[in-house]
Amino acid sequence: MNKKQTRFFAFAASGVAALAFIGMTLHSHTRFGELTNAQNITPAVVHGKDVWHKYNCINCHTLFGEGAYYAPDLTKITQHRGAAYLQAYMRDPSKFYDENRHRRLMPKQDLSEQEITDLILFLDWVSKVDNQNWPPRPILVVGASIPGSDFSAQQQTANAIQGGAQPPGARPVNPDLNPIALGQALFRKVAPACVACHSVADGVNMAGPSLAGIGARAKERIAAAEYTGQAKDAAAYIRESIEKPSAYVVPGAMYSANGQSFMPTTYAKDLKPEQIEQLVAYLSSLE
Amino acid sequence: MRYRSQEVAYWYFAVAMLLFGLQLVFGLLAATKYLGPDPLLYILPFDVAKVIHTNLLIVWVLTGFMGATYWMVPDESRTELYSVKLAYAQLGLWVLMGVTAVIGYFFRYGTGNKLLEQPLPHKIAIVVVMLMFLYNIGMTIRKSGRFTTTEGVLLGGLGLAAVLYVPALLEFENYSISIFYRWWTIHLWVEGVWEMIQGGFLAYLLIRLSGADREVMEKWLYVIVGLVFIAGIIGTAHHYYWVGVPSYWLPIGGIFSALEPLALLGMAVYAYTAMRRAGLSHPNTLALHWTLGSAVFTLFGAGVLGLAHTWPSVNKWTHGTLITAMHGHAAFYGAYAMIVMAMITYALPSITPGRREGGTALGYWAFWLQVGGMFGMTMAFAAAGIGQVYLERILGLGYLDAQLKIQVHFLMLLATATVFSTGVGMFVWDFFRFRPKFELAADADDARAANAIAAGSA
Ligand code: HEC
Ligand code: HEC
Ligand code: HEM
Ligand code: HEM
Ligand SMILES: [Fe+2]
Repeated sequence: MNKKQTRFFAFAASGVAALAFIGMTLHSHTRFGELTNAQNITPAVVHGKDVWHKYNCINCHTLFGEGAYYAPDLTKITQHRGAAYLQAYMRDPSKFYDENRHRRLMPKQDLSEQEITDLILFLDWVSKVDNQNWPPRPILVVGASIPGSDFSAQQQTANAIQGGAQPPGARPVNPDLNPIALGQALFRKVAPACVACHSVADGVNMAGPSLAGIGARAKERIAAAEYTGQAKDAAAYIRESIEKPSAYVVPGAMYSANGQSFMPTTYAKDLKPEQIEQLVAYLSSLE
Repeated sequence: MRYRSQEVAYWYFAVAMLLFGLQLVFGLLAATKYLGPDPLLYILPFDVAKVIHTNLLIVWVLTGFMGATYWMVPDESRTELYSVKLAYAQLGLWVLMGVTAVIGYFFRYGTGNKLLEQPLPHKIAIVVVMLMFLYNIGMTIRKSGRFTTTEGVLLGGLGLAAVLYVPALLEFENYSISIFYRWWTIHLWVEGVWEMIQGGFLAYLLIRLSGADREVMEKWLYVIVGLVFIAGIIGTAHHYYWVGVPSYWLPIGGIFSALEPLALLGMAVYAYTAMRRAGLSHPNTLALHWTLGSAVFTLFGAGVLGLAHTWPSVNKWTHGTLITAMHGHAAFYGAYAMIVMAMITYALPSITPGRREGGTALGYWAFWLQVGGMFGMTMAFAAAGIGQVYLERILGLGYLDAQLKIQVHFLMLLATATVFSTGVGMFVWDFFRFRPKFELAADADDARAANAIAAGSA
């Protein structure tokens, strides 16, 4: 091999690779519209994207897994948090998190209301881009217990065989299972996922209150004088909490604003009635 | 120094060294914030510290590249630079751009686009500086009529780096598409044309330091360039997996990016055999340490640690975690920080005559503390990253709670970063402690190279 030949190799190799790359790029452009739901990129979404850039969010957070590693990934955040929650959070993060507990806090960003609204629309668009289902398992902001590991001893034994797409300790779900088991799986799987805001461990309050013992507590809730909803028994209270979160709001500064609960209001419409019943069955079992 | 105009290189190096030191200040600040709570939350929050850290990195490395080019081209083309004035004007504009950009970042004046945060006026200034630079170098070579392959590869890299900055000026309404083209700049820089630049410097240094035969060195340099681009261009797709592109990019990106380390392995073997064959005839053994060190550390940081998370089924779990920071540090340091320090160490004895040509003791301490410190930082990021992937991504703990559990690795990061910074401090001090004297010297290296070849083949 002489220098002339190796020079030919360098140029030819680079040329061929560049051509192939450009070819695939052109082809990708014919697919971007469909993969990214380009028809949903409204002026408000574009403005939301500008807000994202303007406040340098990328140098603390990742989006599509790209950015900095100081703060949680936000690709699917709108599938874990409702718009009301995010709106209130963006106004003042320190109302939601304690810097001394997690040793980090998002500084207040001083966004206008309009900026926040459009930002949330942008993040919602992001969450719906077809990105090969990344992340493979939900990335949560907080949660000190392993989701799916909070089973009874009997359920733990049944968990010996594990499903690929589930966390260790979770078990495969088939439709013949008891509604309680199905409800438990849904608790993790619905969008937004209940686990993103609720733990079933005692005393672990995240974006929503701990649901440990909710089966028993529901009865106290409806018996109390402050109760504003319609439920007459525990199951009905839990059902109401899921379908109409604001019918009664659990007291707490980071749970609601102006009587509006931060829990998403989309479940009544997005979940099938039997799914809601399964969730109710599961939560009622937490005495 | 064989040509008077090579003195401009010294001032580029001096600026690069100052910015390098400053870069670390912001790196240490950012790392301290991992431990929290942050008393500077409203003065200098993490995002500002990080932007400044990474932007100073890019600016000082490019300053080093330009200085080293101004040093190397007169040697290769055997001529004075076309215009010394233009070179200084370029440096002035460049520093002005860099300093105002950093001041702007304190006030969040930037595009908020990772690594391309420079505001539009600054981006335009960068393009202008690049054009001034390429014009000056191009005219120098034209004037001399002597154009070596080594120089050609270097210049090809620099020219293409300028061309690939153009996508950074485009804006798209579709965020996925803007990510797609962001990588045309970032990935094709660090895993494409900058490797040409590194290859050019490496060949220059090896020819000078080992006296290896130019024809042979340049022949293999082409092979390395070919390997870089076969894998590197299509390898861009290892950044496309999860951002909203057609699924065929996954296997394609996996296969081609997995081939990228081949070129880096080639570079390490290239450096090693040149040294073995021709022997260590050159007195500047410190420059030799940096040269070989760069080739080897690149193979480790970019080749091995890049390969570790480039396959889609692995990247699915590690994407956007501290694993990426682990690889980013080791790769950038080995490939681009070390090659610039190799060029500086090679050039310095003839600019600052007070110093021993074989390198000062301080210079060796600087080398080993840096290499050891950066290796330790890489391990600390790796341990933190593995913990993060396991706790947050696999077990499903919340992000904030997982970060709390890996605090000990942030302490390790700070400890090793302190060792590293000490090494950098020594390098910078060693750079400045001898005053420059711009005197012409006889072409000792060329005579030495001829002797070495005679000795090597005997
Ligand atoms: C200085 C770093 C920093 C910057 C800049 C930053 N964040 Fe955050 N962000 C955090 C941290 C840390 C958290 C974790 C929760 C907390 O401590 O408030 C967080 C959490 C969040 C959450 C999740 C809250 C939840 O409970 O689900 C959202 C949404 C968010 N940030 C959006 C943004 C947006 C949008 C921007 C840009 C306008 C931004 N962040 C800028 C550090 C930052
Ligand atoms: C974005 C966070 C969020 C998500 C997701 C979420 N919740 Fe809530 N949830 C809350 C908040 C905040 C409250 C307290 C305010 C209120 O009463 O509505 C709450 C309250 C509740 C309560 C009443 C608790 C009590 O102590 O009385 C129940 C039951 C409940 N949620 C169930 C669910 C279920 C089931 C899901 C999933 C289908 C879910 N939540 C998803 C935030 C959330
Ligand atoms: C004192 C030594 C250093 C410390 C403490 C340090 C610390 C940091 C920190 C904390 C980050 C932010 C990571 C995140 O997003 O969470 C970072 C990013 C980065 N640093 Fe450093 N750094 C140091 C030196 C260097 C050096 C010498 C280089 C290159 C030669 C470098 C290159 C980078 C790069 C490329 C990034 C961006 C990585 C990414 O986003 O994936 N750093 N550094
Ligand atoms: C000198 C060469 C290299 C340098 C300087 C370098 C630097 C970097 C940096 C700074 C990042 C973070 C970029 C960002 O998120 O904006 C990155 C990401 C990445 N690099 Fe490299 N790299 C080099 C070579 C390689 C090689 C050879 C491979 C593969 C074999 C590789 C694989 C990767 C992968 C897979 C990512 C994405 C990580 C993620 O998913 O978060 N790199 N690199
Ligand atoms: Fe890359």
